[in-house]
Amino acid sequence: MPQFRLHSAKVLAVSMSGDAVKAKNGSMVAYEGEMAFKKMSGGGEGLRGMVTRRLTGEQMTVMEVKGHGTCYFADRASDINLVQLTGETLHVEASNLLCTDSGLRTGTTFTGLRGASQGNGLFTTTVEGTGQAALMSDGPAVVLRVGPGMPLQVDPGAYIAHQGNLQQHFQSGVNFRTIMGEGSGESFQIRFEGDGLVYVQPSERNTVGGEV
Amino acid sequence: MPFREINAKMVEAHVQPGQRLFSQRGAMIAYKGDVRFTPNMQGGQGGLTSMIGRRVANEATPLMTVEGQGTVMFGHGGHHVEVIELDGDTLCVEADRLLAFDGTLEQGTLFLGSDGGVMGMVRGQVTGQGLFTTTLKGRGAVAVMAHGGIIQLPVTPDRPVHVDPQAYVAHHGDVRNKLSTALGWRDMVGRGSGEGFQLELSGNGAVFVQASEEKL
Repeated sequence: MPQFRLHSAKVLAVSMSGDAVKAKNGSMVAYEGEMAFKKMSGGGEGLRGMVTRRLTGEQMTVMEVKGHGTCYFADRASDINLVQLTGETLHVEASNLLCTDSGLRTGTTFTGLRGASQGNGLFTTTVEGTGQAALMSDGPAVVLRVGPGMPLQVDPGAYIAHQGNLQQHFQSGVNFRTIMGEGSGESFQIRFEGDGLVYVQPSERNTVGGEV
Repeated sequence: MPFREINAKMVEAHVQPGQRLFSQRGAMIAYKGDVRFTPNMQGGQGGLTSMIGRRVANEATPLMTVEGQGTVMFGHGGHHVEVIELDGDTLCVEADRLLAFDGTLEQGTLFLGSDGGVMGMVRGQVTGQGLFTTTLKGRGAVAVMAHGGIIQLPVTPDRPVHVDPQAYVAHHGDVRNKLSTALGWRDMVGRGSGEGFQLELSGNGAVFVQASEEKL
């Protein structure tokens, strides 16, 4: 099993002994030992992945890193968060995924209207299985717990990932003022209900929802 | 040591009479006391020949001399700043990454072709370093800028380190570096992993790597 650890808040170190991880293309900054890098088309999901990712716009260019030693990953000074998965599914934007254990399966799912307001398209990437994954965020991410009877509303631009048994709804607070151009910039939210964790970054992407 | 890190992006330096500091021109944020800043035409030390040398080598970042008595704060462009202490060894760093350094350090330029021949020159082009790099030698401290913070990786004879050329910041000690390529047929047909070139550092010392692939 590759061992993931944070070397600093922005640098991920993965120790490998002959096994492999999948990482964002070109995100290696340094390594010790012997490593081989191979690009995987379609996010490493074969021909089917190539087609679905092209169609859904959730394209990710992924490389397989295999070898003995320690490999360091970082991307544009983003903060890194480690997630341990034990059989559950993690939903994450393809652009926020840095590195996954090669034992985890990745795929795409339909998210509905939420995706469109986030500016990320209608689809999102899923990671499932048992192993570790590393997410990127602009600024250190906070993990918010959602429990039964405690729904959580998140700004679509600040959402990065969620895991667990969660239902998501898209809600809007568009009113008379918004239409008059006097909106607060918080007219759209994603509402999470159920039981699970939501990862939120202290920064907002440029979204359609943030303009009104 | 003259430099103290105030936070991740600012350093404070104490200046005393008879001591000089060099810093990148315009990198001063605030100062207390009686401190003078004089633009340094020679771009550091070494007189006229070295000035021409640095111009030719394109390693001539505008520097200023900081003298007097007081404390000065430095920061530039919101980049992370790291203080590297030198204890008689040589630090190789790009001139535009230098924020400030002790006046006691001896500054020079290194022709990459002399460290690895033709491959060294190719390396400079690939990494965007050009054909020359700046060296600082002696005892003292250097404040270096990087995008997203710096990690230090030790290099030992039995443990060479490979670094992405775009994430490389600086190295010190007795370290040889060469460009290693892992180009395969995949890169030729545009299916590369984006990791076709690496700097291989071997010997005894340390290499500094930033958490980003962006140049300053």
